[in-house]
Amino acid sequence: MAFRIVVCAKEVLDPDAVNNYALEGKLVIGDDGKSLTQSSIPRLMNAYDEQAIEAALRIREAGVPCTITVVSVGDPGDILKHAASLGIDEPVAIQADTAALDHHGIAKLLAAFVQSRGGADLVLCGRQGSDGDQGVVSALVGEHLGLPVVTIARAIDVTATGDTFGVRVVRVTPDGDETVAVPAPAVVTVSNELGQARYPTMAGRMAARKKKITSVTPAELGVAPAALRPRVTLTKQFVPTVKGACEMIAGASADEAAANLIARLRAENVLR
Amino acid sequence: MSRVVVCTWGTTGGAAELLTLGHGVATALGTELVWVVVGPTADDLASIAGRHGVTAVDRIVDAKLTTFGGDVAVEALAQYARQFEFRLLLVPQTFDARLTAPRLAARIDAGVVMNGLALGANGGEVAVTASAFGGDTRVVYVLAGADRYVVGMSTSALAVEPAPTATTPPVRDVALDLSGSEERIQVVARTETSGPRIEEATILVAGGRGLGDKANYRLVEELAEALGGMAAASRPIVDEGWAEPARQVGLTGKITRPQLYVAAGISGASQHMVGCAAAKTLVAINRDPEAAIFRYAKYGIVGDCLEILPALTRAVKG
Repeated sequence: MAFRIVVCAKEVLDPDAVNNYALEGKLVIGDDGKSLTQSSIPRLMNAYDEQAIEAALRIREAGVPCTITVVSVGDPGDILKHAASLGIDEPVAIQADTAALDHHGIAKLLAAFVQSRGGADLVLCGRQGSDGDQGVVSALVGEHLGLPVVTIARAIDVTATGDTFGVRVVRVTPDGDETVAVPAPAVVTVSNELGQARYPTMAGRMAARKKKITSVTPAELGVAPAALRPRVTLTKQFVPTVKGACEMIAGASADEAAANLIARLRAENVLR
Repeated sequence: MSRVVVCTWGTTGGAAELLTLGHGVATALGTELVWVVVGPTADDLASIAGRHGVTAVDRIVDAKLTTFGGDVAVEALAQYARQFEFRLLLVPQTFDARLTAPRLAARIDAGVVMNGLALGANGGEVAVTASAFGGDTRVVYVLAGADRYVVGMSTSALAVEPAPTATTPPVRDVALDLSGSEERIQVVARTETSGPRIEEATILVAGGRGLGDKANYRLVEELAEALGGMAAASRPIVDEGWAEPARQVGLTGKITRPQLYVAAGISGASQHMVGCAAAKTLVAINRDPEAAIFRYAKYGIVGDCLEILPALTRAVKG
């Protein structure tokens, strides 16, 4: 029996582009007071989700017979095509207006999708969306499915004993790496420590053109609109102001500037 | 009664900050502040609570609660939530709480917001200001639509102040049945992190891409040693393998709070600043006078860090 992996993915505004605008002081909030509307900011797959797909592909390459499904809630943009070009088995779009949903609603739909397929052996998520940074959807999905959740994986190893699968995860913690074992099914979140996600090959791109994106509605998943009512509403977004009161320390040479700085830090009792 | 609950693991790790915030919010909402302490408690629990205007302290102690973040902790708090009324449950956003808080929220059918930097109540409406886009923006979430909320607050920038009126709260032990709760995740191995950690360092010297090459990271290490501090690094150079991951400062690295933070050849991307914004004095060295890092710095030197770092080491050694 194949090991069933479901990867949850979303489209985000390119965080590097957002950062560049922010650094230049040119990040603009739209008329609604909460959206980043600069059309020059590209939309792409959340990089942590890309690494979750990478983790799934590595499990398959390690010799575990897998089916890999990538599911996204709302308009997937090009990310499901991108996922398909990487060689996953089935891209799935859950039709919903994400602007009207909160993380709770997104997680309900993702969990309902997994249940509609008779469950999964492993649900992989990026550690957080690089837009909102909330990082809660994976935990909510885990609870809705009654599964254990392992966060911030550097490496994932799947072992089969007869018909049961075990998952071993090297996770990154503030105290160093930790290796944990958890029986499948489980939810695991993946971080950048996993390493560079692959790029699609030309053959992969060609094959992706023929791959059909499965589309499902909340109703088909048995989720009533009332269950998706948001509990948390994003009402405003703004760019924080930075003080910007840096005192520049000069000197005729590097040594003089350095001596001036150290003298200053000593005078301020920052250094002894 | 729609109480405000502050929930902490033990009595340290941001408890005083969160109690200060919680008391303000409870007052604004015209309700009581309850402090739930999970795991080990200090002897002066009641006096800390009293100072912060807490109405009651609920203690959750169980032999199974050895770590905060696992299945047992979520079950314990879910049982607590079924026994006691509240509207808001605030937790300090620790590494473990990033998972525990949303799991608890799902378990008790509450709403959840993480990364909170500020929390305000206005006319009964509660709003959380949270960090987004790696610190590039702030978003405001209004909490309306569920009966209860779990909110993770970043406590490093919160103030500690006693409540205007002290209280003498009772300390109650909460009776829970955790006999059926077991950890599903087993820890097989841990990498022993030996030596001091940058999160606890008083002085940090951090290097970034401006170092140009892996070999130049030693300039950072040499200044750190001369200052009696530790060497740190930005994410790009950790990704490049110039420095160990344990040295990484920032959103996906460590959150540090040193007295002195020297950033050498670091541009000042928000993702990095998240990890060093709490430094008491920030010194920036960068070739580019327009680099964002200077907006955060107290002192700056415009110059090549390959020249300035060794010059600083010489100046310190005097």
